[in-house]
Amino acid sequence: MNVENNKAQMRKGILEYCILLVISGNSCYASDIINKLKEARVIVVEGTLYPLLTRQKNAGLLSYRWEESSQGPPRKYYELTDQGREYLAELDKSWDELVESVKLIRKK
Amino acid sequence: MVLNFLYIFADDTTLFKKVLYEKKMKITVSINIGGMAFHIDEDAYTELKIYLRNLDRYFAKEPGSAEIMADIEARIADLLKARINDYKQVVTIQDVREVINTLGTPEDISDDSGSGHERLGSIGYHRMYRDPDNRIIAGVCSGMAAYWRIDPWIVRVIFIIISLPGGLGILIYVILWIVLPEAKTTAQKIEMKGEPVNIHNIKDSVKQEFDNVKEKMNL
Repeated sequence: MNVENNKAQMRKGILEYCILLVISGNSCYASDIINKLKEARVIVVEGTLYPLLTRQKNAGLLSYRWEESSQGPPRKYYELTDQGREYLAELDKSWDELVESVKLIRKK
Repeated sequence: MVLNFLYIFADDTTLFKKVLYEKKMKITVSINIGGMAFHIDEDAYTELKIYLRNLDRYFAKEPGSAEIMADIEARIADLLKARINDYKQVVTIQDVREVINTLGTPEDISDDSGSGHERLGSIGYHRMYRDPDNRIIAGVCSGMAAYWRIDPWIVRVIFIIISLPGGLGILIYVILWIVLPEAKTTAQKIEMKGEPVNIHNIKDSVKQEFDNVKEKMNL
């Protein structure tokens, strides 16, 4: 057992949830997602995000559209699909339960 | 990333005189990343190319790896674009290193996503080249020796022995001379030795090369 590994596992557990949360607010460009996740200190390097986005898109949780950009080539804007919203609702519930469980045990 | 063409970039703007005085003249290459064109120093290009190749290999097992790489290239283009302007038109090795730090090496990404599986070292290709640095004739024997990690003289002696009766060795040598490419770039020289291609040994090699050039030019 080592604590760094354990922490990384915990972070990984909530990473996909956090990505869905960020996208649920507003359809966003990959840089927006990165900035929010970095701000919240959920990811350390940006490269982590891209495989997860592609995986979630392939699982039907996300979709994207191309939007023209004034600063360069068109950009991908991600948004949640209906399936993604259901998935996120499940995770919301599960997160609340987890927090409750930990709280309960900590109290004792 | 697509390499378009190669040319000498001689910058003589007064604004850059001081920088140039220290940096002298460098070769830049023109590349296309995520649909945007950049001028990039040759050493920076080598580092970026190796980085992209390692990432590509890391994501190869993922479904949709081409898409992941395209997204990452688009992000690299964004980050590089933020580092150039009218007064600094060329992407330097420093810029590339900062971008790599931001995006993360395969090792960083593996750690970050907490995927318990083994840390993936960036395994370099191992290819046979002609070694121009240790050559006697065309670097065929030294290249083979570098590939097998043995002393070049072992290969040379074998060639001499099989050349003695009917000159068969000479024929083989000439064929290999034609077939084997010369290890010209830093990345190729590392591939020739089969060392894992990573930033550390690129740095070592590049530094070695700079020192060689310096010596030659008496700087």
